[in-house]
Amino acid sequence: MVLVLALGDLHIPHRASDLPAKFKSMLVPGKIQHIICTGNLCNKEVHDYLKSLCPDMHITRGEYDEDARYPETKTLTIGQFKLGLCHGHQVIPWGDLDSLAMLQRQLDVDILVTGHTHQFKAYKHEGGVVINPGSATGAFSSITYDVNPSFVLMDIDALRVVVYVYELIDGEVKVDKIDFKKAATSHSSH
Amino acid sequence: MVSPARVASSIVDSENRNGGGGVDSRFVHLRSVQWRINLRILPSEASASIDELRRVTADARRRYAGLRRRILVDPPKGENISPDVVIDDPLSQNPDSAWGRFFRNAELEKVVDQDLSRLYPENGSYFQAPACQGMLRRILLLWCLTHPEYGYRQGMHELLAPLLYVLHVDVQRLSQVRKIHEDHFTDKFDDIFFAESNLSLKGKTGNVDENSSHENEIKVHSLNELEPEIQTIVLLSDAYGAEGELGILLSDRFLEHDAYSMFDALMCGGNGGAVAMIDYYSPSPASGSHTGLPPVIEASSALYHLLSVTDSSLHSHLIELEVEPQYFALRWLRVLFGREFSLEDLLKVWDEIFVSDNDKLTSATEDDVGTGLDILHSSRGAFIAAIAVTMLLHLRSSLLATETATSCLQRLLNFPEDIDVEKLIKKAKTLQTLALETSVHSSPPPLLNHAFDKSKSAAVRGHSLSTGSVSPRTPLNLARESYWEEKWRVLHKAEELRQGSTSSTAGKKGFSEKIRRSLIRAESVPSPTEIKSAKRESRVPVRRSLLEDLSRQLGSEEDIEVSAPKDPSSVEIKVEGEQGLLENKVERSFLMDNIVSEDSSIFSARSSLSGDNDLENDSEKSCAGSSSSVVENEDLENEEEQSEDPLPVSYPTGSSTQNLEIGDTAHKQVVGLKERKPPSGKFPWFWKFGRNASEVTFEKGSNMEASRSSSVSNNQNNVPGLPITDACSISYRDMSEKNVMGSLKNLGQTMLEIFRPDLVVAGQIATKRENSVIESVFQQDRGQVGENLSKNILVEKGQVTAVAALKELRKISNLLSEM
Repeated sequence: MVLVLALGDLHIPHRASDLPAKFKSMLVPGKIQHIICTGNLCNKEVHDYLKSLCPDMHITRGEYDEDARYPETKTLTIGQFKLGLCHGHQVIPWGDLDSLAMLQRQLDVDILVTGHTHQFKAYKHEGGVVINPGSATGAFSSITYDVNPSFVLMDIDALRVVVYVYELIDGEVKVDKIDFKKAATSHSSH
Repeated sequence: MVSPARVASSIVDSENRNGGGGVDSRFVHLRSVQWRINLRILPSEASASIDELRRVTADARRRYAGLRRRILVDPPKGENISPDVVIDDPLSQNPDSAWGRFFRNAELEKVVDQDLSRLYPENGSYFQAPACQGMLRRILLLWCLTHPEYGYRQGMHELLAPLLYVLHVDVQRLSQVRKIHEDHFTDKFDDIFFAESNLSLKGKTGNVDENSSHENEIKVHSLNELEPEIQTIVLLSDAYGAEGELGILLSDRFLEHDAYSMFDALMCGGNGGAVAMIDYYSPSPASGSHTGLPPVIEASSALYHLLSVTDSSLHSHLIELEVEPQYFALRWLRVLFGREFSLEDLLKVWDEIFVSDNDKLTSATEDDVGTGLDILHSSRGAFIAAIAVTMLLHLRSSLLATETATSCLQRLLNFPEDIDVEKLIKKAKTLQTLALETSVHSSPPPLLNHAFDKSKSAAVRGHSLSTGSVSPRTPLNLARESYWEEKWRVLHKAEELRQGSTSSTAGKKGFSEKIRRSLIRAESVPSPTEIKSAKRESRVPVRRSLLEDLSRQLGSEEDIEVSAPKDPSSVEIKVEGEQGLLENKVERSFLMDNIVSEDSSIFSARSSLSGDNDLENDSEKSCAGSSSSVVENEDLENEEEQSEDPLPVSYPTGSSTQNLEIGDTAHKQVVGLKERKPPSGKFPWFWKFGRNASEVTFEKGSNMEASRSSSVSNNQNNVPGLPITDACSISYRDMSEKNVMGSLKNLGQTMLEIFRPDLVVAGQIATKRENSVIESVFQQDRGQVGENLSKNILVEKGQVTAVAALKELRKISNLLSEM
């Protein structure tokens, strides 16, 4: 029952002023146990705001982040899952699944969370999961057209993770759900 | 071959039938079973067989198990969600979502946990064990989820705890019996000891049968020869009786199930019962009520009504002081006296309460229904009211002796622990019949017609106060005279009644001893804010009788201290000024919080008034008096503000709302009395001096601190007042004699200075020094007070100092009478 919020690429204040109001109303403190942030927040204010949602926050450095002390990559273990975190601008070609899989093998994680492309993606790849939460503010990206604000909430429960994707499409929040089981005999994915 | 169970049960049944079909007395020694019968969970006819009991128990347990499975379920994983159904996500703001429910349950659980962690911490062994806590938590959660209209209120856990305890005790009894009578609990069914015989089923069954049946016959006989008590225990726990294991009435496995059904029955009044505890938790008026007040308020006023019938002088005294019944009755009723008695005593009281029938009496006329006397309309309710009134009568002399509402409440809320519960119960029974008559014949109490309406209450109170002080002094004087005389008479009677039965002092040393003893019985744990709460004194003291009383009380106050144990119930209200008691503060504020949410803001004022923790000595302006109610009300406000400081994190909103509410009422009272401040200032001060000097306070430092802080906000009034009385009273408890003498002399001086304000400052400085000395001693003192040894020491030394103090006071009184 561990709820983990994954988001990133907010680009506040450069490309966006704030999270969408509908997202903000959903993100209340007390429900979420961990936050993992792919990077490019870019402000300290955003950092503090996310900290207020949940004290346990993990963040990696994006190329526009003002705080230079964030690490390039991070790994953590929640429940039975190993999570890996990286912004993704380091992995070229940007957004390429095989290169990301290489990074996943390097970090030796079950779930790899990266960003930079501002586009939501969730792949099951070679026994692991690669998730891109997209941009939580829908900030401009030079490599993606029509960016929709999106973020991801993972419900990690022993050997099973349920990924809820929240996207703001045409002013409405749409939720989608993906199931992953770790190293089990059946790979059930939506 | 008849099975032993059937044989024995028929024997037991026949016994009962012979004894009359009314009261079932089979289980008087097994509290949990008896209570379950009384709460109507188990069939209450004496003719109910063991098997029937088992069946009913098993049904109830099955219901609970199903309930638990249904409700305490994790958020759905959604394996088979069809695409049409809206996806339930954790951040969903849909109120119907399972995730929403999950989070709400988590919140509820947090609230329940807070209360559970503070449940009977002194009986820590049982209630604080994780298994027990888990069970309590689950039961409370389930009950609140099945009754969402009530939610969880603080106090429900206290109702549940003794129920679980009683079940637990019975299970322990069972294991005891099991050990002693092992042979009756063996695994025998079908009358054959299969386990013990190696013989196969086929061969030589004839002989084996004969032998074993012979043995069984012997066993059967011996079963019947056992005491009926043991018999019933055996039968109730036979694993092969009706419903098998699920039907074992005293079962360790099903403690939770049984406790839940008992709790549910208690809260909801059983099948159509009149008294449902849940009523006392609901803030809204009952549906049939004419008065439109919450049921607990109505019940409290019914208490007062009963009191007026039995003891009108105490009743009128309490009314005069404006001690509204719900201040203390709220706690009494909601927890069914759980916080007033120790656990063992409480079980006895509850035995009696549950024995009283819970049916609505049909003799109640149409007019009576809904007039607020509903509590008296059932035997059980009448008994509850009778117990409450008996408790009030027990504290009668001490209540009559106090002149402030707060001190009354202090006494009421810190009910003494060393009481004879049996006597209390017997007396309550006599009152119960009276109560039942009252409910039929009398009209609704006049109290209900005014002063409960919150919007008017403050105005009314202010009005009554001002009228009280505006009217010529003489009527009050006359009232005073008779009051004191009556008190004297009461004391004498009490002393005669209780001479042989108290324990703390030995030997008869004369007048003061006698009074002391009677006052031990009468006095509860001393109220913390005696001195600080210079409340609403608009009555003229009658000096001479006052001084008599004063001298009497001086002789007894040390014993008051003796009878001040670390009362666990008082922890809730009295907040000690020691470090490690943050949780008590939290509890108090939590209590305050809850009460605020229950719309009884006055009550919360009471609880918060009773303790402040800072011991700083900012005694610059310490001597400014707070004798008039103006000052007193500012006291209240300051007290509130003070109490906020130690609790900035946890409940700032709670206490601030109290502040606002108290401020409102305070100001209204202020308006009525401002013009009267100067002349009344001195007299009440003096009178208060007499009272306060003799009364013992437990948290001196806090009182002094509070009074000082109050004076900070006041202008330097004409009366030097309180801290001097503080010093005086502190000194009486002080170990060092010279301090007593010194402060008394100081007192005498400063009293002369009452009428010479220019010298007030000098007196203040002197007392300040005294106070700091006294406080440092007192702090050490307090650390030891919790132990019995120190109590004895204090008694001895107190007696010595009391005599000296008495002399000094006589001197001072002479001085004053000259003025």
